[in-house]
Amino acid sequence: MTTSSASSRKTLSKIACNRLQKELVEWQVNPPAGFKHKVTDNLQRWIIEVNGAPGTLYDNETYQLQVDFPEHYPMEAPQVIFVPPAPLHPHIYSNGHICLDILYDSWSPAMTVSSICMSILSMLSSSPAKQRPEDNDRYVKNCRNGRSPKETRWWFHDDKV
Amino acid sequence: MQNSTARAYESSSSSGNGSNDVGDFECNICFELAQDPIVTLCGHLYCWPCLYRWLRLHSKSHECPVCKALIQEEKLVPLYGRGRTSTDPRSKPVPGVEIPRRPAGQRPETAPPPESNTFPNPPGFGLMGGFFPGATTSFGNFTMSAGFGGLFPSLFSFQFHGFPGPTAFGTTPNYPFGYPPAYRGAHVHNAAQPNQSQADNNLKFMFLLVGFLVFLYLFGY
Repeated sequence: MTTSSASSRKTLSKIACNRLQKELVEWQVNPPAGFKHKVTDNLQRWIIEVNGAPGTLYDNETYQLQVDFPEHYPMEAPQVIFVPPAPLHPHIYSNGHICLDILYDSWSPAMTVSSICMSILSMLSSSPAKQRPEDNDRYVKNCRNGRSPKETRWWFHDDKV
Repeated sequence: MQNSTARAYESSSSSGNGSNDVGDFECNICFELAQDPIVTLCGHLYCWPCLYRWLRLHSKSHECPVCKALIQEEKLVPLYGRGRTSTDPRSKPVPGVEIPRRPAGQRPETAPPPESNTFPNPPGFGLMGGFFPGATTSFGNFTMSAGFGGLFPSLFSFQFHGFPGPTAFGTTPNYPFGYPPAYRGAHVHNAAQPNQSQADNNLKFMFLLVGFLVFLYLFGY
């Protein structure tokens, strides 16, 4: 698999475990449209298949999200990245890191994997052009030894996409 | 009893029924049935330990996790259901994290007692005021009956147990704020309940003795 970050090494707390089990049950009953959870026995890392929404630039394309949960989820945000190859998008880096405020500064414990997925699909769907962020190469070089995007100091400047 | 219903709720919610009513009472952070439930002014329900941990230890802002409305801790509203106390083991804090007591509810003053009280309680006489007329007429001498005033409360107290006040509320569990229901005066007798029957007997005996003396006194006239 891809690099495992420091946040995923510590085992889940009891609260985190209970909540993730509830989220998983809810997902199975009512999965978000366009997403498929790939069943594993690892509650701490979810692999989710994303289908580009019909009528958008990513129609008929499939990508994979990797969601790693920290020990104190949901007090701390999960780490969400695209498993490369990541979709071409002005806020998605080629190493799979996603520049999206709710994954970092604007995380709230009332959010769920399902609501994150909806945000990511919405971000994809509103993309004006299939292109990498301007600073892609510099950023990806900086992250070379498997750094988590949660350690990045993100600057959220564009609220249109 | 209460525990079993709570468990039934939880199991029904974890069965994953999308449209269950129990979801209305789940904490917005841990998704369990809320422990030490607390509600924000914007109406969002949390366990107090969950909300405290988020606001004090993890969040950089004081926002409602659901709607981002500003949260002022002194304006949080606790929900007091029936029965369960805050000693539920599940509400124990995470080791190393001290969760303070849940903020208390804002309590407006009690409503004033209704005008036409079934148990008149005129100022100056206290609870026993209503019984004096009977005592005084039988003796026909007000100065004498005033002398008995000190005895009357405990003498008549056993009759009061038939009133709805003391019996109906005597077994009620603790009130979170120590404000029992507003049967003014009646619950005074609850406080004096222990070993009262013995005192009653003694006083009854004394009353008979005094009555006897009064009769002697009247006869002597």
